[in-house]
Amino acid sequence: MAMAPARRTTRGGIRKGEALSGWILSAPVLIALFVFLFLPILMTAWVSVSDYNGHGSPLSGKFSFVGADNYVAITSGGGLQEKIFGWSLRNTLWYVVLVVPIVTALSLFLAVIVNGRVLRGRGFFRTAFYFPSVTSSVAIIALWMFLFNASGVVNKMLSWIGIHGPVWFNDPQGIFTALLSGLGLKEAPAALANHGFLGVSWWSWIGGPSWAMTALMLQAIFCTSGTFMLLFIAGLQNLSPEVDEAAIVDGATAWQRFWHVTLPQLKPVLFTVVTLGIIGAWQMFDQVFSSTKGGPGNTTYTLAYRAYSASMIDGYWGQGMAVAFILFGIIILFTILQRFWLRDRPDMPRPPKKTKGVVPS
Amino acid sequence: MSAVAVPRIAAPARSSRKRRGRFSPTQGALYAVLAIIAVVYISPFLIQVVTSVKTEPDAATNPMSMIPNPVSFAALNKLLLNSDFPHWFLISAVVSVCVMLGRVLFDSAAGYALARLHFRGRNLVFGALIGIMAVPGVALLIPRFLVLRQVGLYDTLPGIILPFFADAAGVFIMKNFFEGIPVAVEESARVDGANIFRTYWSVVLPMARPALVTILIMSFQGSWNELQQFIVSAQRPELINLTKGVALLISGQLGQGTQYPLKLAAATLMTIPVAIIFFIFQKRIMNNATGAVKE
Amino acid sequence: MRKNLGKVWGAAAITLAVTLALAGCSKTTPSTTTAPPAPAPSTTAAPTTTAAPTTTGAPTSSAAPLTILFGSSGDAETNAIKAAAAAWTAKSGIPVTVTPATNMDQELAQGFASGKPADVFYISPGALAANADAGNLWAYGDMLPNKADFYPALVADYTYKGKFYAAPKDYGTLQLIINDDLWSKAGLTAADYPKTWDDLHNVAKKLTSGNVTGLVIGGQYERLGAFMVANGSNLMSVDQTKVTATDQSNVDALNFAKSMLADGSMKFAADISTGWGGEAFIKQLCAMTIEGNWISGAMKADAPNVKFTVVPMPASPTTGKQGTLEFSNGWGIAADSPNQQGALSLVEFLTTTEQQIAFAKAFGPTPSLQSGTAQFNSEFPAMKPFADGVAYAQGVPTIKGASTVLGDLNNQLAQLAKSDPAAILASTQTELQALLG
Repeated sequence: MAMAPARRTTRGGIRKGEALSGWILSAPVLIALFVFLFLPILMTAWVSVSDYNGHGSPLSGKFSFVGADNYVAITSGGGLQEKIFGWSLRNTLWYVVLVVPIVTALSLFLAVIVNGRVLRGRGFFRTAFYFPSVTSSVAIIALWMFLFNASGVVNKMLSWIGIHGPVWFNDPQGIFTALLSGLGLKEAPAALANHGFLGVSWWSWIGGPSWAMTALMLQAIFCTSGTFMLLFIAGLQNLSPEVDEAAIVDGATAWQRFWHVTLPQLKPVLFTVVTLGIIGAWQMFDQVFSSTKGGPGNTTYTLAYRAYSASMIDGYWGQGMAVAFILFGIIILFTILQRFWLRDRPDMPRPPKKTKGVVPS
Repeated sequence: MSAVAVPRIAAPARSSRKRRGRFSPTQGALYAVLAIIAVVYISPFLIQVVTSVKTEPDAATNPMSMIPNPVSFAALNKLLLNSDFPHWFLISAVVSVCVMLGRVLFDSAAGYALARLHFRGRNLVFGALIGIMAVPGVALLIPRFLVLRQVGLYDTLPGIILPFFADAAGVFIMKNFFEGIPVAVEESARVDGANIFRTYWSVVLPMARPALVTILIMSFQGSWNELQQFIVSAQRPELINLTKGVALLISGQLGQGTQYPLKLAAATLMTIPVAIIFFIFQKRIMNNATGAVKE
Repeated sequence: MRKNLGKVWGAAAITLAVTLALAGCSKTTPSTTTAPPAPAPSTTAAPTTTAAPTTTGAPTSSAAPLTILFGSSGDAETNAIKAAAAAWTAKSGIPVTVTPATNMDQELAQGFASGKPADVFYISPGALAANADAGNLWAYGDMLPNKADFYPALVADYTYKGKFYAAPKDYGTLQLIINDDLWSKAGLTAADYPKTWDDLHNVAKKLTSGNVTGLVIGGQYERLGAFMVANGSNLMSVDQTKVTATDQSNVDALNFAKSMLADGSMKFAADISTGWGGEAFIKQLCAMTIEGNWISGAMKADAPNVKFTVVPMPASPTTGKQGTLEFSNGWGIAADSPNQQGALSLVEFLTTTEQQIAFAKAFGPTPSLQSGTAQFNSEFPAMKPFADGVAYAQGVPTIKGASTVLGDLNNQLAQLAKSDPAAILASTQTELQALLG
């Protein structure tokens, strides 16, 4: 691309008509992007500051500008809307904070062992770990609701080791709350129970994801670890073997080599996986739509699902779009951060590299 | 994996080959760990398939049993002969085929324009693509419905399909591909007097087959597994596809009770096409995944 | 290429800014240029369709075909409505498309927002206020010829700010449903049918054994509220002007339920991995449940061999009175329908006594007309307690926003066994109070 201007000066003759053709050829995708990605952003912005009530078009002139009212309603006032927004934010945060590190560690682990010395069957294992990533999350949730029902497979297995499993999809208790109550702390300290943020008590904020959300988190880990594993494998295969071999000669153990030689070189991939994981996790919607719809006890509302349910189920269109716009801002922020970091690091993997898989082989 | 990757794997393999003869305890442990993880990843799918041919009481009382007792095709029968499932399947197939064809055409056209043609505003277009790629789809779920209704496409098949063409990633794949192949062939066609569209259609597209296959596979997976787009762009029962239909089925909106064999049979059947494509194009898909996710 | 990424980002930012500005100037263009006029189903029709649809004024009229959107309880209901619609089409010559909703709330909302709503649809009292305020509904109730025959309580359910919006379709009350076999197996007879809460608790304990729980109900206000009513209160006063959630009678009612949960003689449906009390009852995981008349349709379809008896709700020990909740559905007509006249005629047909009895035969609902009750009771003596219940039933809160509050309440009630009823009701009190302003 950088060479383009140079080429233009050398051969001018056959470049005639390229401007028009260029625009014509790019037009379909550009129009689709404009109409279906760009206009919706404007629509979100407008509806989130309007009193649109769901009858007819938001642009029909019947609806007026209400300033930040919708944003105020979901972030203050002690009402139900604030409370559900608080829960959505809380649940999404826990989801991001727990799923991203776990899926990163797991996929790195899988990549390292699959890419290791074991030569026999590596293709098989790679396929086995990756297959869940190509199936639809709706199909996996159907399976998950069976595996995690009260007397289902997971609880049967837990009972083998003497654990009475929770009623996963119907249990709103936070896993850390459950842990604390197992350790004897059954009542919330008054300071945490009586104060809170966004209509949710501090005790609830720190309670961790509910059992229901935990089941959904396990599903996400199951469904995305394969993709990230492939990323790590690609990264591992790009490492120079010389450094590793030198370390072998120096007598370093496998663990030392991984920790001091391999991992530092993998930093760029690691960074990519983490940011992609974060961006993806904030957008969690499909699983909730297909299973719990926000329950039990508000503990599986995510910001993405709340934006949908507030507008299309409860009829609070302005507030729903305010949630959507806040979510939009959060994700854009992470994307910009990622791009910003990538820009400063020449060794980062970046989009052009994806040609690797496309080059005729 | 790919041809690119092979020489690189060869290096560490060399050192291991020396020790190939003995089967060390470490290696045994490694295999054991791998085997356990593989069971965790594979058994859910086996349970899914087996449960779909169980009776409902059997599924509820012996969820772990790998042998249906008795084998019952009631769930499959109900799905295939006495439900809207075949219609959902049809809608999914129609949408996927349209999305695949459309994306191949439009992505390659835009990719070609960006890679080869020099026109004013090209950098602007490229910048816009990169910028818009960062837009999170899920935040735009509801507004996309509002836009569709505004342009009169809501609750129509085109309204479901057209938004899929907002595919910046595919344009990048094509653009990068075109930048990677020599320009000589098409230039000679152009010198011979063929106009740009003709060159694109009869010279460039045939050369791009490997990249087009990649786009086809990615489009298929993307549209077959897509849920949100179907939720917001239509409501008529005739336009329900597999993901939406099954999502409503499993969340109990269709008044179905637990009915695990039915739900898992639906999940199994909807997974079959993806699984077939996956096993046919396994290598290419796994390579694509490495690239595509890196955006 | 790599070094260019920064530049490209610069370009991207500029592009976005420019397009934003451009699009900002022309925000209305998409509606005028790209949008063809919404292809209303009335394109073929008479000139009157051009008249603006209205919520109160003269109804629109045309030969446009009609659509019915409804949340179906199953094939029985779907087929009954299809048959009724076909009968009306044969009379009127206007085709009707009958669409069982897959996701009722969302589809209704999408329909209203898209300007192409279903012409006729089920509407619950809880959804009435918000949709009436948004201008989605045509208030046609006063034009019904048999208006005086509907139960007044039901008319009140569908009256908002003085306008009668929708014809009540039917109603149902909660009653106690008993599995005959499990009942006699536990050594109980008809003489043991519970008259009071204590009786209920005792027989539930007797019926609980193995994987059978004595009583299984949905863990939600829409079931537990029956105990609140019996105890002399409810979440709101009958005229819905006062929030009474924190009344001691309500706390006591929930405490009674909690005591049954504590000893395992009652469980919530979700806790045994079933979707509702009826499913547990059908699978014989419980000997009793508290449900409405819709359970008869489900029993016919999924468990024709399970014999059951419907008995009246037991009375509260404090008040000595019975209590139950009443649910109803109405036929809404869209303000944007191009053929309101036709829709009205269809609804009139669907709410005749004759048609309501046909629905009752097909899937069990109790007629909304006073004149229909006698015939219903003689046709279905076993279902009589459902119809009798209307005498002591109350509705659920239906003020604007109440359904969201009830959703939140239900989230908490699902955990009743581990929670403090007073605290749950206190939060509901605050939330409902906020709606009254």
